[in-house]
Amino acid sequence: MTPLTVLRRLGYALGLPLVLVAVWWFASAGSTSPFWPPLSTIVAKFPGTWFSGRMTEDVLPSVVRLLVGYALAVVAGVAVGMLVGLSRRVRAFTEPTLEFFRAVPPPVLVPLIALFLGYTGSTSKVITIALGCVWPVLLNTVEGVRGVDEVLLDTARCYHLSRRSRLVHVVLRGASPQIAAGARQALSIGVILMVISELFGANRGLGASIVQFQRGFAIPEMWTGIIMLGLLGFVLSLVFRLVEHRALAWYRGLRDANRGA
Amino acid sequence: MGLIALGATSALLLAACGSGDGSLGTSSSASSSAAGGGSGSGAMTPLTVGVIPIIDVAPIYLGVDQGFFKDEGLDVKLELAQGGAAIVPAVVSGQYQFGFSNTTSLLLATAKGLPLKAVASGNQATDDPAKDFGGVVVKQDSPIKSPKDLAGKKVGVNNLNNIMTTTINKWVRDDGGDPSTIQYTELPFPDMAAAVAKGDIDAGQVVEPFLTIAKSQGERYLGSNLAGVEPGMQIALYFTSASYVQEHGDIVKKFTAAMNKSLDYAQAHQDETRAILPKYTKLDAKAQQAVTLPKWTSEINTDSVQLLADLGTQDGLFTKKVDVSTLLP
Repeated sequence: MTPLTVLRRLGYALGLPLVLVAVWWFASAGSTSPFWPPLSTIVAKFPGTWFSGRMTEDVLPSVVRLLVGYALAVVAGVAVGMLVGLSRRVRAFTEPTLEFFRAVPPPVLVPLIALFLGYTGSTSKVITIALGCVWPVLLNTVEGVRGVDEVLLDTARCYHLSRRSRLVHVVLRGASPQIAAGARQALSIGVILMVISELFGANRGLGASIVQFQRGFAIPEMWTGIIMLGLLGFVLSLVFRLVEHRALAWYRGLRDANRGA
Repeated sequence: MGLIALGATSALLLAACGSGDGSLGTSSSASSSAAGGGSGSGAMTPLTVGVIPIIDVAPIYLGVDQGFFKDEGLDVKLELAQGGAAIVPAVVSGQYQFGFSNTTSLLLATAKGLPLKAVASGNQATDDPAKDFGGVVVKQDSPIKSPKDLAGKKVGVNNLNNIMTTTINKWVRDDGGDPSTIQYTELPFPDMAAAVAKGDIDAGQVVEPFLTIAKSQGERYLGSNLAGVEPGMQIALYFTSASYVQEHGDIVKKFTAAMNKSLDYAQAHQDETRAILPKYTKLDAKAQQAVTLPKWTSEINTDSVQLLADLGTQDGLFTKKVDVSTLLP
């Protein structure tokens, strides 16, 4: 990659954000509305709001809850999804039920989850996140497993691969592009649920902070919270892409090879 | 994404706050229908007032019903909102002309430079600390016997850093306890009794009708953090924006007059007040009779507004001192 192409790529990546920030900056510059403060005010409030303790006391616990809930969802989603995807009988048995639960929006479950798992503490929040994230992973895994090439499976059987390696190397691998698509979708759901779960019996956390700011009419601080949330989402998706890039390297290679053929 | 999350947030809070109608944004059209049938002195002025579906705002429903606002030439439409945090922006932006909010929230807004003006009393604590419309409940067998025992305990409030926390802190301090060790947890009123019963929190602050519900489920009333701090404390106020006062001073006067009449009428006719509750809350007939009503009077208890401002300053709610005279009429 020449320096010029690097520069061009950077320009593409940063172009729109820069334009948006500039528009926001100038459109809000002379604003006297207390609910629509100038971006300069918001930016000026940002470090004082977040870098004097809030990162470790609010953002970190939120992110940890998100990651734990998300990890639970991915593991459970892939495990159950493989089970359902591999067996026609299990699929026929569970699919209507899964569709039912999938259709229930997790935010409405928050009070219910709190009732069973406690109003305070992290458990109910982690479970809320996990319950919301599990569906895209699970359903994508089912589809991914069903889509695995029969010939590949037969070949693996012919070569007497053990059941375990067939599952790991053929089925799971074959389904992984679909699983990754589901996991990516789940991540954004997780961020939303991270915020929502904190509205119930939480003192601290990123979502709880934003609501506290809003209720205390600390409007510029509230805006910094929203920006913080956006930044967090951005970083998470970046990390996700890095992981996906590595894990699915074989798939990209295969796809490119197929296209070239 | 943040905005979406926040949107979902309010929807959720509403779902959780099943006390009332639960219909944020949908108007509960209690407006007097006889637009042309007034005293004949010209057209009626249409007004929108933001209220919360709680017992505290019964007088305005009663006043609309009794035609007190119509008599002043005001066609009042009541909009149910989620709380002061939602009503204040709507009033400042002119979406509502008047609103109802708790005193500390209004002081918070004033401290942040939002130009608000109180126009009438909202509701007050009763004069009896042992029989108020709000207070703290604990489990029947809880070791918490008096306010000072709340020190070091987990206490549920509907709103952190607001009127309930500052008054509980003062209540505990007056009783000889150290409120700085209280761990406050935010929970909606409807969930408070269940959280206390489950042991998630050691005590919970509730207002009616959740106080009656908590008692009926066998929880013990520790007393009122409102009347217990100051009998007749000014809990909430009706307010408008400072610019509206400047531009429509005459309408404000009429609203204040009708509101004051409604408040005194509600206090004097408690049976009628109780009977109006099902109009905008989901109280059944039994609860309607059982609940303790707050005190309603046309007189604003200015001393207690100053007290709430001082308590807010003491607890660090305001970054600078609040001048209550900017808020009070």
